[in-house]
Amino acid sequence: MPVLAIDGVTKRFGPNAVLKDVSLALDAHEVRAVCGENGAGKSTLVKVITGLYAPDEGAVCVDGTPVVITSPQHAQELGIALVAQELSLAPALSVLDNIWLGNRKVPLLHRRQELRARARAALDKLGLNDLALDTPASALSIGRRQLVEIARMLTRDARVFILDEPTATLSDVEIERIFAALRALKAEGKSVIYITHRLGEVFEICDSVSVLRNGDLVGTRRTNEIDRGTLMQMMLGRSLGEMYPAWESSPGDPMLMVKDLHVPPLVRGFDLTAERGTVTCLAGQVGSGAITVLRALAGLTPGASGEASISGKPMRLRTVARAQAADVKFISEDRAGEGIFLRLTVGQNLIATKLKDHTAFGLLARRGLRATAASLAAAVGVDRKRLHSPADELSGGNQQKLAFGRWIGGDRPGVLLMNEPTRGVDVGARAEIYRLIRQFCDRGYCVVMASSDIEEVLGMADVVVSMYRGRQVARYRRGETDMQRILADITHPAAA
Amino acid sequence: MTELTFPAVLRRGLPRARYIALAVRLAAAAAIAIYALTTPGFLTLLSANALFTAISFVGCVAVGMTFITLTGNIMSLAIGATVSASALIFLACLSLGILPAILVALLFGVVITGAQGFLVGHLRANPILVSVAALSLLLGGAAFVTGGHHIYPSGAGLEIFKDRFAGIPIDAWCFFTTVAVGQFILSWTRIGRLMTMVGSNVRAATAAGVSTTATVTAAYVIAGACASISGILLAARYGSGDMEIGVGYDYTAIAAVLVGGTGIAGGSGSTLRTLVGVIVISVIEVVLLLRGFSEQLQYLITGLLVLCVIMLHTLGERR
Amino acid sequence: MTFGNAVQRLFAPSARPFTIVVGTIIVLGLFDRGTGYFFSIGTVFSVMQLFATLGLVALGLGLSMLIREFDLSVSGMVGLAGCIAVLTGASNPWLGAALGVAAGLLGGLIQGLIMTRLNLSSVGVTLGGLLTMQGLTYVLTDNQTISYPKIAVPLGLNAPLAGLFSLRSVVALAVFAIAALAMRYTRLGRDVIATGSDRRASRIAGLNTDRVVISVFAASGGSSALAGVLLSYSLGAASPVALSDVLAPAAAAAIVGGVSVIGGRGSPMGIAAGVLTLCILSSGLSAIGVAPYVHDLVTGAILLVIAILDAPDLAQRITTWQFDRAERQRNALKGASS
Repeated sequence: MPVLAIDGVTKRFGPNAVLKDVSLALDAHEVRAVCGENGAGKSTLVKVITGLYAPDEGAVCVDGTPVVITSPQHAQELGIALVAQELSLAPALSVLDNIWLGNRKVPLLHRRQELRARARAALDKLGLNDLALDTPASALSIGRRQLVEIARMLTRDARVFILDEPTATLSDVEIERIFAALRALKAEGKSVIYITHRLGEVFEICDSVSVLRNGDLVGTRRTNEIDRGTLMQMMLGRSLGEMYPAWESSPGDPMLMVKDLHVPPLVRGFDLTAERGTVTCLAGQVGSGAITVLRALAGLTPGASGEASISGKPMRLRTVARAQAADVKFISEDRAGEGIFLRLTVGQNLIATKLKDHTAFGLLARRGLRATAASLAAAVGVDRKRLHSPADELSGGNQQKLAFGRWIGGDRPGVLLMNEPTRGVDVGARAEIYRLIRQFCDRGYCVVMASSDIEEVLGMADVVVSMYRGRQVARYRRGETDMQRILADITHPAAA
Repeated sequence: MTELTFPAVLRRGLPRARYIALAVRLAAAAAIAIYALTTPGFLTLLSANALFTAISFVGCVAVGMTFITLTGNIMSLAIGATVSASALIFLACLSLGILPAILVALLFGVVITGAQGFLVGHLRANPILVSVAALSLLLGGAAFVTGGHHIYPSGAGLEIFKDRFAGIPIDAWCFFTTVAVGQFILSWTRIGRLMTMVGSNVRAATAAGVSTTATVTAAYVIAGACASISGILLAARYGSGDMEIGVGYDYTAIAAVLVGGTGIAGGSGSTLRTLVGVIVISVIEVVLLLRGFSEQLQYLITGLLVLCVIMLHTLGERR
Repeated sequence: MTFGNAVQRLFAPSARPFTIVVGTIIVLGLFDRGTGYFFSIGTVFSVMQLFATLGLVALGLGLSMLIREFDLSVSGMVGLAGCIAVLTGASNPWLGAALGVAAGLLGGLIQGLIMTRLNLSSVGVTLGGLLTMQGLTYVLTDNQTISYPKIAVPLGLNAPLAGLFSLRSVVALAVFAIAALAMRYTRLGRDVIATGSDRRASRIAGLNTDRVVISVFAASGGSSALAGVLLSYSLGAASPVALSDVLAPAAAAAIVGGVSVIGGRGSPMGIAAGVLTLCILSSGLSAIGVAPYVHDLVTGAILLVIAILDAPDLAQRITTWQFDRAERQRNALKGASS
């Protein structure tokens, strides 16, 4: 009987189904990989299993009995332990307290000595013999924090362990220690769900792999029955042509020049040249610095320094006002937090950066603004009838279109920077957003985008710059590279 | 393709909740109106003028507070003390003439409150903490200057505030003008729009190139000016003043702002709503008084009303 | 080097509140210049009497600030609990005290529930709570000052114990001791710090942060209520005029006591030290003959400085300014050399 089974789970957010009738069964002694591109539904699946989301249809079964997992605490009581994708250490607490944080088995009054011993053992297993238990978590490097999270997982007396992309920030040595710990768990008869998009890891420690694509379960295979090519085929499925616009790549004159950009602590001495009328993609995973570079160029990082120029004119960094004065426009990776105004209307979002053009003596020309809002809505393909609805009623894709619409117009083409432009955007809206991006290029904009989605990078880029740990690994023109090459660059570059 | 799915969003839970919220609000308004109109003496005993005079003082403060709430900074606990201090300064400066006295008092309110706004907007300092600090400094400073004594007018000219214009008292005119100017700023000026943006989402506003420093400072400057207007009106009405004169105005003002429907989270609101809030609260007070309920009960009901309104707001918002 | 180390250690976040208390005593002692008004048993006694009221309120408010919330309702709770105690404790003071504190716990519990269930900001909810509690106090007292018939209770509460303390201040100290032990030695303490340090991370780690928030607000309500009960009993009267001016000193005390507005930092002992600092300033200044307004000014100045130092964007603004300056200097050098 499977230890954990997911039976026909469907999860919708508004109109978008992010998991569609997904079924998995996990046995004891099994390490199961779950693979898929960004937005395939991996993280949603984890959140359903750990009680953060309630499925709209289907059920989660533990030991063959269907259970309604109501909260992360409940999941813990059922013997499910999680290492989440986001770090979950409280910076003000010590390593010891962080390891026991949220553990349901720790009584209100307890003997610290026993807890210390068990935490020590877990840390030692991961090779952290030198890490003192009383160190505050805020003093640890990102990699060490990740290992402490895994130590926390080991101290939970669980039967099912879920790790959501645990190795993104780790070095090879650290990764090997995690694998050793996972193998030990497997030998004890535990089950592991290992979420990753590093194919090498799948074949190294996993017994079987389930592939998700656009919320559908493509299939589950034994790892010894398939090879990398098959797995990649399963992850991608369709051909690239359907999604991305076709265009003639023609290099323009250099427009954005960045020299010796420093953004502590990650990016040191980064150079970049991007041309007018082209899309330059910074390809990199979390922690690669791709997003950091663009945030700094948009003026959002106070500690950034270096030389930047737009069409030969020097641009000063560190405030948004300076970037905007140099015609640099930015679309944030954090749409809800920074990209758009969720509580304002669609119309207000579209004209957010247009107020100045319609102001005389501090007074607004409201008719002009209304007309502008209507024409921008038409330009990005958002229904005019929705101009007065709050932005949070729109789907992710349409919200992202608002962020684009804000930058359409203006006197002269500038530089458009965007981070993860299709994160959380459904497939249908993606194609429209890619078309919008090409339209900006056709108008003479220089577009630079940071993305961790390799397929998107290959589909959109005139120039690909692959990044790893704050450095450029390689630079390719369109057609000079392929998926494997970029994947290798951004995960384990030979030169790094 | 995605456009076609929009009506589905409409039919889902959230707009329905918004309709319910609207319905509850309308029902509450109707209930208050019926209760008021059926109260013996409500129409005869109390002229609109008396009601308006009574609400002008706290009304001005509430209009100013609307701007602080709207920009996402909840409230300033120092506003009541600013009202009192402005009143004292106005009375003390009357010897310079009525107009200079008004200007000095306004300037005082603008500087004191604007400085809080600068700290909150430029450094994102905690607005509650900054206002509590300002409150302490104002109380200490006032005690230092006045020695805790009453201040009496140092010159003449207060009579003009007791006049009526077109049959409506000057106090009420000042209040209505404040409401109108406030609403004009919010709907027709750029800075008003920027305040809505900053209040709705500070980080998004920063990323869109809005100067949070200028915007938040402007909101506090308006709030300070409104507090001073209220202080001047109070000083003129009572003909003397001390630091007790504006005590509690901050809490009553925020109550009016919230009851009117300006969200505590910021990003939405209008001074017209605040006007409604002020009127609702004072009508309830008057009606309770006429129906023989004690003053005590008025406090309790106002408190419960604010609590309910704050909870009601979540009905219309997605969680 | 050793001197520098010592200074650094004295001003480390965990030690700073205690350093400040001692510093305040030394400074006031110097101003006193041996006249003995400051260093007297009378001053110590009055400091501890102040401590009994302000301390418990600051403890409640400080706990709420520890989890990055703000309990505006503490002053309402003080008044309400005082009135309940005086009204219901006429025959049995214990019953009155129990009901007063229970009201505080219940009030905090309800506010915490509203916040967590409806996902509302603490300032909004406790503002409504404050106004409601004030209204309730007015209704209960019928807008009158109510005197407490048992004359023995105020006498007993305020009678000096060992010269320095009274029963009232001992109760307050005991509450602080319990809070300190609970924060230091139980899981609850670490849960509170974790919630304040990073609530989302704590939730992912499996902590029921809603429960922590509710507990903290219940504790805050209970603690402020106890302050109100003790105050009313020792005054022998309860008045509906709320102590709205208790909020500023309580916030100042918590912050001087090392509680960070950014959350996740602070301890009951630190808060106690912060309260002591303010009480010593208050009674000390009046003992050596300084006008009371100086106390307000000092409190305000402390709050203002800390509000600025704790502001989240301060570091960014300074960094931007520094880098801009460095860039200007570089460009000036370049211009001069070329």
